[in-house]
Amino acid sequence: MEHDETKLISRCQEGDQEALKQIFDLYHNKVYRVAYGVLRHREEALDIVQEVFIKLFRSIRDFKRESRLSTYLYRMTVNTAIDHLRKMGKARVSSLDEEEAIQPAEEPERRPDRIFLYKELEGKVNEALNKLPVDQRTAMVLREVEGLSYQEIAETMKSSIGTVMSRLHYGRKRMQELLKDYLQEGAGK
Amino acid sequence: MKRLSPFFIFAVVLLFFSTSPVFAQAQVRVRIIEASNAGSVVDPSLGDVHRDLAALFSFTSYRLLKDVNLNLVGNRPIEVLVHPGRSMEVTLIGGYRRLTELRIRIKREGVPILSTNVKLAAGRAILIGGPRHGEGTIIFAVSARF
Amino acid sequence: MKDSCAATSELLERYFDHEVSDEERSGIETHIEDCSACRDRIKTMEGLRNLLKSPVDEVEQKEDFSRVWLRIERGIQPEETPAWGESIRRWIDLILRKRVWVPAAAVIVAIFLALAPSVLKRSPSSSDPSVVEYVESQDYNVMVYESEKGNVTVIWLFEGPEKEGLSPS
Repeated sequence: MEHDETKLISRCQEGDQEALKQIFDLYHNKVYRVAYGVLRHREEALDIVQEVFIKLFRSIRDFKRESRLSTYLYRMTVNTAIDHLRKMGKARVSSLDEEEAIQPAEEPERRPDRIFLYKELEGKVNEALNKLPVDQRTAMVLREVEGLSYQEIAETMKSSIGTVMSRLHYGRKRMQELLKDYLQEGAGK
Repeated sequence: MKRLSPFFIFAVVLLFFSTSPVFAQAQVRVRIIEASNAGSVVDPSLGDVHRDLAALFSFTSYRLLKDVNLNLVGNRPIEVLVHPGRSMEVTLIGGYRRLTELRIRIKREGVPILSTNVKLAAGRAILIGGPRHGEGTIIFAVSARF
Repeated sequence: MKDSCAATSELLERYFDHEVSDEERSGIETHIEDCSACRDRIKTMEGLRNLLKSPVDEVEQKEDFSRVWLRIERGIQPEETPAWGESIRRWIDLILRKRVWVPAAAVIVAIFLALAPSVLKRSPSSSDPSVVEYVESQDYNVMVYESEKGNVTVIWLFEGPEKEGLSPS
């Protein structure tokens, strides 16, 4: 697989669009899952997938093969998604103690869709994720959604393993506090 | 000249029997806005329409979900997805020099919930609102470029 | 038990993430057999993981990535820019050919004759507000409103509560 991937990268660097299509077929799911995990918005996640692969094609000559292609793609996806969050005014990089100012406060009596518990739960999860600083949110997505190892997360986020563990620890702690009612009910099953 | 005659006749006949001067293409801008009463954040990119929105509605918060430019070709619909399950379909159905005729359909789960034919003049906008979006409401701002 | 719990607790997250050594794993699993508090912590972490992962799994399955690829393909096409001189030469060659300008002139005349009635009749002026010619909604009430200044037309759909039976997306 690695040998094939090396060939694909070389062909892509020479401008072979078919090679890009093959890379797209191999990795679009991963890119989408990370983008959706961070943004929690389908259309925006699809836009990120499009942007990432176009960027990849344009920048692949600079790919030095010091990391794996998957890491390179994850990193590009995370950075593109975070840029998108910042443009939408949703990115929080400060500490947990800062008050949430972006997401609307919950007003249950205005919500029309309480009929669907699933939608409500999904909304709660998205709200909780939005309250995490971007670095914790990213680490959580890479670990919980994509199952990356600490090493892979560290390479993707260009941080140390210790930092990754810390982000996961505080991210999980905060998410568990925010979603404690749903976790106690066993809604996570 | 023999070859030209049938071509010429065909062109004349075709054009005389055409019922309306349908322009081949048009550019339409669609901005999809989430309006709500939660918070008082107005997306900076909505600065040019905020005054209109504030004059028409009592929402306190406006967030731009999507901003797309559609290159419409006669009678070929383009669908803009908004949200899981929601979309807006736009079709160019005609136009004059500075007027574009559109058919717009708002759909939920693929089923039209609103259909409208509008004529958009230069510098004018149509706002189509009402579909729910989470805790807010979607407003589609549609304008034509000439 | 308490000391063991404190020690295990620090390793629990790493154990959950499969980032412990074999020896550490063995110690933790032995401890968990008798410690409900640590088992509950693991269940909570599992629950959280499921809450984060399941929606992504579901949504991913529904997506049509082929249209994304079409957009990517368009996005990576190089823009062809012929040399200016060549472009102009080509256009001049084209226009001067009798086989082009004679039928082109004929078509232009034909277009003019066909459009003249429409052009000469009064066409809507750009100072007219946008016009809603037709609006329909089978299930909901609709309101059409013209702003006082006449530069914005509003169509408002009064969507009621979600109907039961609609599946969440």
